[in-house]
Amino acid sequence: MSLTHLNARGEAHMVDVADKPESRREATASGRIHMRPETLALLAEGGLPKGDVLATARIAGIQAAKRTHELIPLCHALALSRVAVDFRLDEAEGCVEVTASCRLNGRTGVEMEALTAVSVACLTLYDMCKAVDKSMEIGAIHLDTKRGGRSGDYRREAVEPRPAPIVTGEGQAGEVSLGSRCDIASPCIRVKCLAELRERLGIGEVSVPLDSLERQDVAGLKAALKALDPRFSRLDEGRVLCAVNQVMAGDTTPVTNEDEVAFFPPVTGG
Amino acid sequence: MIRVQQAPFDAGEEQRALLAGRTDIGAVVSFTGLVRDFNERPEVAALTLEHYPGMTEAALAEIVEEAQERWPLDGVSVIHRVGRLAPGDPIVLVVVASAHRRAAFEACDFIMDYLKTRAPFWKKEHASDGDYWVSERDSDHADARRWEP
Repeated sequence: MSLTHLNARGEAHMVDVADKPESRREATASGRIHMRPETLALLAEGGLPKGDVLATARIAGIQAAKRTHELIPLCHALALSRVAVDFRLDEAEGCVEVTASCRLNGRTGVEMEALTAVSVACLTLYDMCKAVDKSMEIGAIHLDTKRGGRSGDYRREAVEPRPAPIVTGEGQAGEVSLGSRCDIASPCIRVKCLAELRERLGIGEVSVPLDSLERQDVAGLKAALKALDPRFSRLDEGRVLCAVNQVMAGDTTPVTNEDEVAFFPPVTGG
Repeated sequence: MIRVQQAPFDAGEEQRALLAGRTDIGAVVSFTGLVRDFNERPEVAALTLEHYPGMTEAALAEIVEEAQERWPLDGVSVIHRVGRLAPGDPIVLVVVASAHRRAAFEACDFIMDYLKTRAPFWKKEHASDGDYWVSERDSDHADARRWEP
């Protein structure tokens, strides 16, 4: 895999596409602009001071796609046969989702045109709404699909970035069970996951046989838990605190038979 | 006196109980924390507080002990509620009594700063757009660090 915009000396150059065969090229890109619910409501009912926001942003996106070669240094000027910019208002997420698709019969791909259309449509939405909301945030601009050309078809894999804060179901009544003995006969350690961590892992309590630990400390327990259930690999995500027999502990804190080890997120009381 | 409970509390009643029969106390400072209707998201309709029974009481006792080592205190009450609470509900109470006001003010401030960063409570907020666990705040840690040497 090489970067086509670099020549043999590593210098930037424009790819010569004269000898490439023409084919049908299509690309779709999307992005989002997050805004306050009030701003989204004004946008939906056409109450913003600069007028018809979506129509303006659509034209801006189409214009931008046609002028991509003026903005991105090594892009070819393309005679696009089709540019479409669409908007979806998402009240639940508090954002406008912008989608652009470009098409032509030609020798070079149109993904930069689709990405530029989305970017400029988002910027125009910002410009049209900024009088009432300066906190708007543009993000998640990416290529969704690409068809045609030598590199073949591409479809973005569904990725699920979990934005903080984590949205979960109804909370528990504020208590966790206590004092339960190990539910296995051999020497073991009782492990509890509390609060958000319990919901993130989908595990509340589990007993771990002591002989499954290579080292009899918290780090050894974590390794044994990961071997027991891959969900415990998430113990390494973000800041996770640990208490052994209800006293704050670290990776080197020793653990032994009948110990109660709790893992939990940073505290948020008061 | 340290209590973790679901039931509401009456700050005035708790303060009177702390002062009952005492004439050597010159200052009492009381802090009540309330559930706000906005936090990480607008329109918080309720919150659920989870804690780690046993460790919670021990952590609060340790914080109160440390306050008593730092300031000459004549009495301390800490009450923290758990379970489901609505905006406006009292959630935490700290009452500190001392012979002089400076000790009472500072110890009350200290106890709240340490409680927020060391006691195992977790808040889950129920907002109009869903439920989520509250994240820790850097500002709370910065507040607690003020008391470090």
